[in-house]
Amino acid sequence: MHDFFHTFFDWSEIAGVLPSLLGEGLRNTLLIAVLAILFGLSGGMLLAVLLLSRKRLVRLPARIYVDVFRGLPAIVTVSLIGLGLPAAGIRPFGRSPLGYAVVAVGLISAAYCAEIFRAGIQAVPAGQMQAGRSLGMSYLKTMRLVIVPQGVRNVLPALTGQFIVDVKESSLVYLLGLGAGQRELYFIAQERQAASYNASALVAAGLCYLAITIPLTYLVNWLDRRMREGRPVRSGAEDLRPEPALAEG
Amino acid sequence: MTTMPGRPAFPDEPFPTDRLRPTSRPAPAHFSPAISVRDLRKSYGRTEVLRGVTFDVTPSEVLCVLGPSGSGKSTMLKCLNLLEKPTAGSIVVGDVTLTDPDVDIDAARTRIGMVFQHFNLFGHLTALDNVTLALRHVKRIPKAEAEQIGRAQLERLGLGQLAGHRPANLSGGQQQRVAIARSLAMRPEVMLFDEATSALDPELVKEVLAVMRELAGSGMTMVVVTHEIGFAREAADRVIFMDEGLIAEDGEARALLDDPPSARFREFLAQVL
Repeated sequence: MHDFFHTFFDWSEIAGVLPSLLGEGLRNTLLIAVLAILFGLSGGMLLAVLLLSRKRLVRLPARIYVDVFRGLPAIVTVSLIGLGLPAAGIRPFGRSPLGYAVVAVGLISAAYCAEIFRAGIQAVPAGQMQAGRSLGMSYLKTMRLVIVPQGVRNVLPALTGQFIVDVKESSLVYLLGLGAGQRELYFIAQERQAASYNASALVAAGLCYLAITIPLTYLVNWLDRRMREGRPVRSGAEDLRPEPALAEG
Repeated sequence: MTTMPGRPAFPDEPFPTDRLRPTSRPAPAHFSPAISVRDLRKSYGRTEVLRGVTFDVTPSEVLCVLGPSGSGKSTMLKCLNLLEKPTAGSIVVGDVTLTDPDVDIDAARTRIGMVFQHFNLFGHLTALDNVTLALRHVKRIPKAEAEQIGRAQLERLGLGQLAGHRPANLSGGQQQRVAIARSLAMRPEVMLFDEATSALDPELVKEVLAVMRELAGSGMTMVVVTHEIGFAREAADRVIFMDEGLIAEDGEARALLDDPPSARFREFLAQVL
């Protein structure tokens, strides 16, 4: 029993790895995750609008994209982008694997975000589009100013799940091999574990992931509540007050 | 804006598309009809909902459209701003032929206000932002000025206190009045009402009808699809009775309602009253 506890909670192991986890590791994990999330959100929104197009020729490429990137294991996509592209001579990020990880995780995220956004947008009543169009706004303007803002509000909680996935998938960058200064949480912990044959560093890394993902959930929930509530209702008294219909003719 | 050749729209106004005509001044009578509908047809697949509808609305006229559900009256109204695309026929509103394939429909729609059965207020925006959205993003009016127009319009409909409220925090009657303010803020030449009181609780119908009556009295050209026979009798100049996709009756409001010429219309009136 002592061995079991020692393997996972060796305080000297944790203390030893913590500085690099909290410094280099956290920084690079957040870097990959945040950029991938932004990539996923913008790509996903674009794809969602394409998926909702009435033109089959516009819908089809978006549909294929979503099906492919949702269907592939993340580890395959990360390898294809991070190992495949540089091998083919496409090296927009030079030798740094972080850029490839951002793109790979972002591409996957965009596919999932697209479906989330599409569902949210479709849940907006059709009358909203009619009202926007009847005021002289174009289809795209109504989408941008009326439909999408409400659609996004519909799906904020669902997006949280995707953000969490993105944070976790950032760890797949370890496949690409990381140099000094490029290491993220999992890579640091796994190196340490391999050297000491003790899992405590992995436990510490796990706690670091939870320190990102759990507050993230509550942050989005808070944002969701704030957007939903708007301004508080005033007292009902003024509803009873007789009001002039048209003050002037 | 597509202009009919040889037909100056508003000869006494330098900027006809963005004129700020006070609604209390009716357009001169020599103007061409505000709305002109010729042989309007609409089919969904093999079902013909509109089977050749023809009528004119003169400027400042208030036209009520009555008819049983399924008679095509709502579809007809939605054709008047092309929310529904007609299968055949022609529609001219003001100086714009909506059924012209090259029509700039977004520009034309800024001159045609529409009020919906379910209000369709933008749920994420306050009452004021609902009213100013199109002013700012279609008419490109700067924010401060748009809000001034918006507040004045809300004020005018007795909604000044509610400018900062979201639709969810308003009663149905208040929502519908905000929707009317939203349309009026665009300074439309024509207002279309699609069963504007049908979704309201009975005690809220009155406040919306009062606004519509005031608007009618102010010289606005209106096409009102409604089940409110009382409103048609008091506020309408003319009544059209639609049945099975056709205009069955068309005449002066009071005369038609007090002395329904056909058995079908009599039957309908007996059912709604």
